[in-house]
Amino acid sequence: MATSTVSSIPLSLSDRLTAGFVALMIGAFLVFGAGLANSAVLHDTAHDTRHAYGFPCH
Amino acid sequence: MIVKTLLAAIVAGLISGVFMTAAQELRVTPLILHAEEFEGEAPAAPNQPSGQQPAATDHQHSLNDASPFGTMLATLSPITPAYAHEHEGGHEEGGVMFGMSRFSGTLLANLVTGAGFSLLLAGVSLVIGYPITLQNGALWGAFGWLAVHLLPAIGLPPELPGFPAAELGDRQTWWAATVLLSAVGLYLVALRREVIAKISGLALIAAPHAYGAPQPLDISSNVPAVLGAEFAVAALATTLAFWLVLGVVSGFINERFVKPG
Repeated sequence: MATSTVSSIPLSLSDRLTAGFVALMIGAFLVFGAGLANSAVLHDTAHDTRHAYGFPCH
Repeated sequence: MIVKTLLAAIVAGLISGVFMTAAQELRVTPLILHAEEFEGEAPAAPNQPSGQQPAATDHQHSLNDASPFGTMLATLSPITPAYAHEHEGGHEEGGVMFGMSRFSGTLLANLVTGAGFSLLLAGVSLVIGYPITLQNGALWGAFGWLAVHLLPAIGLPPELPGFPAAELGDRQTWWAATVLLSAVGLYLVALRREVIAKISGLALIAAPHAYGAPQPLDISSNVPAVLGAEFAVAALATTLAFWLVLGVVSGFINERFVKPG
């Protein structure tokens, strides 16, 4: 019950912005690592994904 | 609550990543494998010493462009550089992380990419204050696809292995800048009421294309053009499906588990 009470309160503006920027930063890091990082290991692992998503590759 | 919001985005991304892996197997992956049969052959470039040019262009990504981030990530990896660079002898799969199969590597990369795009979408939604719901989820997805795939593809269409292309770092910079400008431009066009905002949004969307994407000097390739055309359409269609699933699933999870009902 306690959790449902908490979750029924909408995010405050500062919380919303905090969550938003944290999400943007983690998301950008993940997309960079999978799609753009110039590491041979990452490139080879994500090779087909990079092509399929149209990331610049090769 | 913040953690719950982020977790919801990650879960939506992972679900979409699994979906993307299945969707890729239909058209995209077979075309990549088909194109790789042509990749190793020396292209018919009369003004180049045979055998040298393809090796230099095919592998410049791992030889020359070691960015600080890439180097750092490579250092953190459990795979030694010697193992990672085995593929420079010609085997692309030589460096797949943890010795996984090619398919597992693709699945892992799709999960990471899905979670990444999902977090970016959720982040944009939180920052601009427009929640992703079940009702508008498909629109969110469609706009994500426009910003990340269709608009950058005008300058840099999805490439097959073995396609001629300009220097990797230039293309990545142009691609990232185009995604960013397109996203801001789409926000201004779609969600702002002011006429001046809509006009500047269009200008932002057009700007990277007016500047021009980096193009290769030599466009000869051994990969048949038909494969390239099929692949470009298949990749864009598959990513559109991915983004629609991502948007709708994000909206569903937001309504069902995050927002009050």
